[in-house]
Amino acid sequence: MRGMRGGLIALGAVGMAYGAWLLLSRQDLGQIVEVALWLAAAVVIHDGILAPAVLALGWLGGRLLPRAVARGAVTVLVLLGPIVLVAIPVLGRFGAKPDNPTLLDRDYTQGLLGFAVLCVCAGVAVALGELRSRQRTVEEEQS
Amino acid sequence: MRIPSEDSFTSRLRSAAVAARVGLWLGICFGVALATGLISHYAQGDSQPVPLPTSPSWLYQVTQGLHVVAGTAAIPLLLVKLWVVFPKLFQPVPRQVREALPTALERGSIAILVSTSLVQLTTGLLNVAQWYPWGFSFRTTHYALAFVAVGALLVHIAVKLPVIRDALTGDVDDTAHDRPNARAAGPVSRRGVLVLAGTSALAAAFLYTAGTVPGVGRIAALSSRSRKHGIPINRTAHSARVVAAASSSAYRLELVHGATSRALSREDLVAMEQRTSTLPIACVEGWSATGEWRGVRLRDLLDLIDAPTGRDVRIRSIQTFSASADTVLPANFADDDRTLMALELDGETLSMDHGYPVRLIAPDRPGVMQTKWVSRIEVL
Repeated sequence: MRGMRGGLIALGAVGMAYGAWLLLSRQDLGQIVEVALWLAAAVVIHDGILAPAVLALGWLGGRLLPRAVARGAVTVLVLLGPIVLVAIPVLGRFGAKPDNPTLLDRDYTQGLLGFAVLCVCAGVAVALGELRSRQRTVEEEQS
Repeated sequence: MRIPSEDSFTSRLRSAAVAARVGLWLGICFGVALATGLISHYAQGDSQPVPLPTSPSWLYQVTQGLHVVAGTAAIPLLLVKLWVVFPKLFQPVPRQVREALPTALERGSIAILVSTSLVQLTTGLLNVAQWYPWGFSFRTTHYALAFVAVGALLVHIAVKLPVIRDALTGDVDDTAHDRPNARAAGPVSRRGVLVLAGTSALAAAFLYTAGTVPGVGRIAALSSRSRKHGIPINRTAHSARVVAAASSSAYRLELVHGATSRALSREDLVAMEQRTSTLPIACVEGWSATGEWRGVRLRDLLDLIDAPTGRDVRIRSIQTFSASADTVLPANFADDDRTLMALELDGETLSMDHGYPVRLIAPDRPGVMQTKWVSRIEVL
């Protein structure tokens, strides 16, 4: 185990060093600075905006929502949240080119709404399932 | 607002048992993306010491499809993983230098892992939708950061190996590696979180990447491509600025082998023996679509200039400013019976955007190197 861990760390360090060398040796300074900015911005946006926003949602949901509804809400959040982020490039059509009708050739708003409806249905099903199982527990206790 | 500490987070869902499982799936995604990415990078290189196989003709289609599927599926998994381990961001730093140094190194490697992973997945995602809001080279950066991200991942796995082993061999509800106060029951169970994360990952991969898959492509609602307009096009003739030269009656396909050379008009090509190949165009962006191509076998053209078999061939396009305008076709591809200089696609004359007057189509070759508007074929 010790040898394996040492080997993995050595291999990982070599990988990182090689990648860093590739990054620094094949582009000009302006490009390298921009990559560094992207790397920093990614952490700042995730740790500073996205994660606190999800924390705040969880905190609010935990206080305001009854347990069954909270279960449904978490279902919707985990299924739909990441997909909304994934959809940003196509929703905004940022890469669209006027002379190429084969690129971004769908109605993405409609598609995302359709998926959101599916997620809400799944959330409602989960919440109802929780209510029913609790009812059953109560009935069993009473009988 | 006060800064939270690690103990401010009390949910029992933020557990090593959950992190190790989501991490395992994430690791598999990263491994698949790295392997398929290296294949694609190698296939696009100008010289290949060991030539790639020409059969099966769908190999690149599959490896590159997997690359984009793995990367897209990793996005929900990474977000869930980061949610599970988020309290660790607020771990106190040890006071003593002897302990502080390894901690600093470990947390530094985590910072590198998180930031390169986020940037890799984001730039890959944006590339599929052809959105480039940056000034750096996508290919160079995506290739370099892959080594950094996977290197940092290996270090992370090595550091966590005992915990990972315990967590994966134990039950998902095991609390052996949890913080003592992480006991609050969440609204869903740990199994529930895993099911939701896995479903979200599969949904993201399907919706975003399956647009050109026969049968189900229509409901892949977030895909940048479809088969609605036939085989998708990446660069149009207009944006490649080849319209005038490609439609000119002065167009000739130049064949060069040492001192021997020939110049053929499109009519000359049409007069030669026509063959049909059913082959896919498989893009680095993950989409692929199979078409029925008809045209002159490349080997027949090479025979016209007495080129021996087993020689690499340089294919040049009318377009000049793109990296794909001047590529080398390895000998085994040049000699393959299915490799055509195509004049027709799916029963119709090649459209200008598909490479009129003539384009290369070879089996198992990245789409970006299936040269359109070919102007010159040179035996090397």
